[in-house]
Amino acid sequence: MNFEIKSEEINKFKEISQEEKDFRIKNLKYFNNIGLPSKKLEDWKFTDLREIISNNFKKLDTFQKNEKFSNFKILKDFEHNYIILLNGSLNSFDFSFEDSSKIKIENYTEKNLKYEDNKNSLVNLNHALFTNGYSLEVESNYKFNKVVIIYNFFSENVENQIINKKNKILVKKNSELHLIDYTINKSKFVCNNYEEITLEENSILKNISLQKDRSDGYFHKFSKNKLNKGSKYNQLLFSSGLKFNKLDLEADLLGEDTECNIQAALYLNQNQHQEIKTRINHLAPNSKSYQKIKNVLNSNAKGIYQGKIYVKDIAQKTDAYQLSKALLLNDDTEFNSKPELEIYADDVKCSHGSTSGNVEEDSLYYLMTRGLSRKESLRLLINGFLNDIVDVIKSNTIKDFISSNLEKQIYEYK
Amino acid sequence: MLEIKNLKASINNKDILKGLNLKIQSGEVHAIMGPNGSGKSTLANVLSGKNGYEVTGELNYKGENIKDIPIEERAQKGIFLAFQYPLEIPGVNTNNFLKTSLNSVRKAKGEKEIDTISFLKLVKEKASELGIDEKILSRQLNVGFSGGEKKKNEILQMKILNPYLAILDETDSGLDIDALKTIANGVNSSRDKEKSFLIITHYQRLLDYIKPDHVHVLSDGKIIKSGKHDLAKQLEKTGYKKIQ
Repeated sequence: MNFEIKSEEINKFKEISQEEKDFRIKNLKYFNNIGLPSKKLEDWKFTDLREIISNNFKKLDTFQKNEKFSNFKILKDFEHNYIILLNGSLNSFDFSFEDSSKIKIENYTEKNLKYEDNKNSLVNLNHALFTNGYSLEVESNYKFNKVVIIYNFFSENVENQIINKKNKILVKKNSELHLIDYTINKSKFVCNNYEEITLEENSILKNISLQKDRSDGYFHKFSKNKLNKGSKYNQLLFSSGLKFNKLDLEADLLGEDTECNIQAALYLNQNQHQEIKTRINHLAPNSKSYQKIKNVLNSNAKGIYQGKIYVKDIAQKTDAYQLSKALLLNDDTEFNSKPELEIYADDVKCSHGSTSGNVEEDSLYYLMTRGLSRKESLRLLINGFLNDIVDVIKSNTIKDFISSNLEKQIYEYK
Repeated sequence: MLEIKNLKASINNKDILKGLNLKIQSGEVHAIMGPNGSGKSTLANVLSGKNGYEVTGELNYKGENIKDIPIEERAQKGIFLAFQYPLEIPGVNTNNFLKTSLNSVRKAKGEKEIDTISFLKLVKEKASELGIDEKILSRQLNVGFSGGEKKKNEILQMKILNPYLAILDETDSGLDIDALKTIANGVNSSRDKEKSFLIITHYQRLLDYIKPDHVHVLSDGKIIKSGKHDLAKQLEKTGYKKIQ
């Protein structure tokens, strides 16, 4: 399948300014020049999206129409605020545990219409065609009482379509927000997401991402994060049930004493393909970044971690760490890791490591001598391998919810 | 309880056990001593069903030849192996593991699964009997445990799973005298007419605390001498060379 978008697509956007129209056209032109990224591009060398899409889709239409729904069941596991997105659009929200004057949530509108060169053509595609999304702002000096779950629901109407959606989160000075990004999908479709997160001075954002079930979703997200002085960003990524998932995350540590943590515990099964690509830019002194990516790979699954740490000359006393560990359950699985350090300051602490290997037979033997079957023993070992990432979560109720979700996927192990 | 007949075992075409015969009655404690490389650990592994060995002969356990039965089924039938080098299992909570393990043994016996409260009560009771700090049970299985803690944890697992036949593979190696007493106490307090023990050791030191009914000397894959408790004492004096 040859995926090219005709310029008439832009004409379908009726109520946009000329400026926005020009912005979209310019981005579309760029996208059509490059097309879907293929492994010829360094950033995509382990993920040939062009081939993946053409092998799995006979046709792919751009998503236009949306629906409304009201009959949605929220989780009962713990008290939370929520935002419901339906096919990427803001459907409803509830902040009953919070002071609503401190929170602003609305449909996404593009304000920055300056064209920027980007190495990732999917970002251009997103700029050209985005139809929906949300924008969330937290006022200064406000700490959320409860976590916010973002229910990312995709209906059956998105089958064989590509959705381009955006979201923007701004946490103002001295505020703290905890999110759980919870995807619920049953369709075979492509979701191309663009995210912008800004953390003002001394603010904190903690985000947990996970999928409810296994699905035929093909997800790509470009995430741009800006961390100002003293701010902290924590991202935890859990078992992706998606057929394809690539996260391309960039974090600019703009101010001193910033902290950026990215940790992942992924159990990939049955031809799933998942890539985490990060670029952490240490641009000011005394900043910290910590990345730990754990993959368990089963039956033809493929996992990739490309992590780059950039340290600018003025960013002295940078403390940057990255580690990836993979556990391969079969010979038909694949894990690729490409760590990269680019350092221009001389007083820094940077380290990286990557290991991958099979399950240790001796460990299995030990567990089996205690009466556990091979399957049960393997599940215990897999769970144990991923568990230390779950343990990062402080709230016990949320931890239990995440662990049982992860276990459910591991217990599918045959 | 256990009758081993003409047991031969090889690994990677190397013969290790070369026709071993041994009979253990219910209620008996047997000790197997022998120099390095005589096949002691192989015997423990073959009894528990470890993969990778070419095995011939008979392993009659409670009237059934278990030679071709998988590892976990042997465990469920009441065979327990205390490891010489217990493995560290990161991320797996010791208590959760023990509960899962106990329940799989109970299920195989047709018993009801134990609930968490009764399980914790049982663990507490057994741990205090052995003088083991319960705190280690809320840690990851053997991770960061000292040598002594690991061995004590093996004996605690033995007490909780309550096997008919317990094999202790050099459980005494690397232990100080207090830990050695804990281990011995664990075995002695479990001794009864329905249970048997096979204690594999280098030194007779442990046998000062656990008095075996029979002592065997294993050399080059065969039992070359059997006797009563005083055989261990004799070995300590003369070494293995004289007997070989």
